[in-house]
Amino acid sequence: MLFNSVIFLFAFLPVTYVVFWTLRSANSRYLWLTVTGYVFYGYWNWRFCFLMAFSTLVSYSAGLGFLRWDDDPRLRKLCLWLPIVVDLSLLGFFKYANFAMGTVRGFAQWFGTDVNVPHLSIILPIGISFYTFHTISYIVDSYRRVIRPTRNFFEFAAYVSLFSQLIAGPIVRFRQIEEDLARIGTHDRHRWLWRGVSFFIVGLVEKVIIADTLAAFVDPALANYATLSTLGAWLVMLGYSFQIYFDFSGYSSMAVGLGYLFGLRIPQNFNSPYKALDPSDFWRRWHISLSSCLRDYVYIPLGGNRRGDIRAYYNLIVTMLIGGLWHGANWTFVVWGAYHGLLLAVHRRFAVQWDSLPRVLKQPLMFLLVLLGWVFFRSADFTMAVSILHTMFTPTLGGIVAQPQFVVVALSIAAWWSMIGPNVFEMRPAFTFRQRAIATVAFAVSLALIMGTRNSPFLYFQF
Amino acid sequence: MTASPKLFEIAPAPLTTLRVETLSTQPRRKTRLVGEVLALAILFAFSFEAACRVEDWVQFRTPIFALERSQLDLLVRDTLGMHGRPGGRFQKWSLNAFGMRGPDVSLVKPPHVLRVVTAGASETFGLYESPGNEYPRQLEDTLNARLADHRVACGEWHAQVLNAAMPGMSLPTIDQDIRLRVRPLNPDFVVLYATPAGYLDDAVPVAARPASAARDGSRLPRSNAVFPRVADRIRTQLKTILPTALQDRIRRREISVTLARHPRDWRFDAVPLERLKTFEADLRQAVGSIRSTGAIPVLMTHANRFVGSADSDMATLRMWEKFYPRASGRTIVAFDSAARLTTVAVARDSQAVLVDLAPTLARSHEGVFADYAHFTDLGAALAAGTASSSIIAASGEQSGHPWTTSALCRKQLVSTPTPAR
Repeated sequence: MLFNSVIFLFAFLPVTYVVFWTLRSANSRYLWLTVTGYVFYGYWNWRFCFLMAFSTLVSYSAGLGFLRWDDDPRLRKLCLWLPIVVDLSLLGFFKYANFAMGTVRGFAQWFGTDVNVPHLSIILPIGISFYTFHTISYIVDSYRRVIRPTRNFFEFAAYVSLFSQLIAGPIVRFRQIEEDLARIGTHDRHRWLWRGVSFFIVGLVEKVIIADTLAAFVDPALANYATLSTLGAWLVMLGYSFQIYFDFSGYSSMAVGLGYLFGLRIPQNFNSPYKALDPSDFWRRWHISLSSCLRDYVYIPLGGNRRGDIRAYYNLIVTMLIGGLWHGANWTFVVWGAYHGLLLAVHRRFAVQWDSLPRVLKQPLMFLLVLLGWVFFRSADFTMAVSILHTMFTPTLGGIVAQPQFVVVALSIAAWWSMIGPNVFEMRPAFTFRQRAIATVAFAVSLALIMGTRNSPFLYFQF
Repeated sequence: MTASPKLFEIAPAPLTTLRVETLSTQPRRKTRLVGEVLALAILFAFSFEAACRVEDWVQFRTPIFALERSQLDLLVRDTLGMHGRPGGRFQKWSLNAFGMRGPDVSLVKPPHVLRVVTAGASETFGLYESPGNEYPRQLEDTLNARLADHRVACGEWHAQVLNAAMPGMSLPTIDQDIRLRVRPLNPDFVVLYATPAGYLDDAVPVAARPASAARDGSRLPRSNAVFPRVADRIRTQLKTILPTALQDRIRRREISVTLARHPRDWRFDAVPLERLKTFEADLRQAVGSIRSTGAIPVLMTHANRFVGSADSDMATLRMWEKFYPRASGRTIVAFDSAARLTTVAVARDSQAVLVDLAPTLARSHEGVFADYAHFTDLGAALAAGTASSSIIAASGEQSGHPWTTSALCRKQLVSTPTPAR
């Protein structure tokens, strides 16, 4: 089920909301959020609900283990590693099995041998990367005693299956909403309503009006990337840079808004990343929940910057490689991750020189570097990536884009909003008639587009 | 990325700045509240409708105040019979000045143009394909690519495909359309993709007789321009959001209700041979009409998702059955198969070009049909590819046409691979 679908907006959400606030006890609310989370997830494919339930059970049991064997380091380690291995095995099987086998096959062919490695018919469960990170962060934080594991199964199940963050994030750590979960349903419903609605509508505008409009010219153009001219390739990659931002940021804004509706403060996931002035700044603003997870659970355990510069560069690149691989089982994602790791390492080395550049240069330069990375991120394979890069940097005649006048308008609006304008957290929602009127118009326009021909899924579902 | 925890500090958004507005129960406040809600409702409705119209214009160039309210308004009945409305626009469907889906063309065929007319019903008109990917448009692209391959031997020729089909067009209506509307266009080929299932309707299909009134009588009322377009979007959404099982249940009920209104022997539980004979007679008649225009008839066998596949999707079959409740789902499929054999026989007897599409699509991957018989983009591409091979090869066998005057050209064209023949 998509947030930008009629069934979600007019059936699932109203029913979930009304029943939630009708219920009295915390446990019944946890149970209701769990049930709705599974309905939301099962609407896509109910069979994979069992997978999520299994992952939930394993992690919950690990939490109980930490409580029971508080003083036994050996058993605590077992409670740490066993569920992580189980969770990562599931993720590995569903997401990376074919990738690994394909890589083995490719290497074998490269060395002149033909290895018969089968291709498994595996459906990638939507959102598995997200809820696996939810459960792993819970286990690691419990082990590190950052949080106290919950004994309440339904509280934990509600946390894992919370529909607002279930399939495309943000990756909300238990400690970030622990307090709100503990006080679930005690907030003033009216006080949170307008804030939630305003976040949701801003997200809807980002996704439906901006991202999907850009997708309407980016996707067909990239489907025929070989015919693009140099100008066309730049326009398309510019469009994709804004499309992916508004698509994912829109989803995150909606998730935050939905959280508010139920009294849960879901943290900010995007802080105007295209306003970033350097690679480090970019990763403090882009997909914050993932980059903070990578920092806390990969980069710092690897040693962070505590073991000298060379080791820090290595750690940065390895961390970002893993980040790239998290996004998808494809070498293009690995290269994208490595590229960003390299940017971070080079920036770390030449930070003084970079920082001396004027701001007016740094922001567009940083955006350009990010845009080049998106070529690998968006490409299905290296042939496509190299072809697009070649077209971008070698004068080539060919197609531009359909309806260029609309493309320019859409790009200008997207560029202004993402590089100059305020993000959703910087907007100040107030319950004035003017703001309600603006929200009404925005919702009506979004709804018209949703009911039209552009009901498209979120890009980050695939991860 | 550095290890400094500050870099990724995550703090929940402050909630203390929220303003809380309490609603007074005083009458004046209540009146104001009602007024505001009403104003917002009007604003919502206006924005919703305006957005629909602007989106239609941006995406499909549909005029903001177009008169067509639904797909049905794309049909017109005038002195030329029943056909597409000239200049009709509704959502992604855009008809040219001749009422044919596709770009505008001149009545007089330009030199060095191979003109192909595609005739049929909704499958040919294109329902589910993205704009420009319906099979006639893809046929034009494929033909042009193939003609370019033979440029040296045959000279510079271009293909022009005119899509004369409209949803619901029966074979007799198509036949009439070929005689009255297609003939002046002077086509070189007419590709006929008839829907045999139409012969399982309550009555045998007959041609929609031309209206005696002038064309003005078929004009749409001006008030249509302000008819809310959101209505169609909402109706479509309501249809699609219902779970498949519920939709199937509703269709079963509708079929049952129809059956209950008729005597028991009304239903076709086996292929009705007299209907099949009527189909054959109508097909032969249509081939004759095509020949009378000077064009070469091309007959395509009707394909559906159930023939030659293990697809037992009863819900989809019931979608088809709902349109022809007089026949059971199995009978519809069996009739379609029998009609295919009839089409092959008619093509053989009348020396028409045969495009045996049914087995070609049955052999193809999944995803060629959007429902029981309508194409997806992929299905349309396969249909176009198959038809173009046959048309090019058939061109080589004809010696009376200007594009095949050269013997070398004819030889090349005949040797074109024709998987469907």
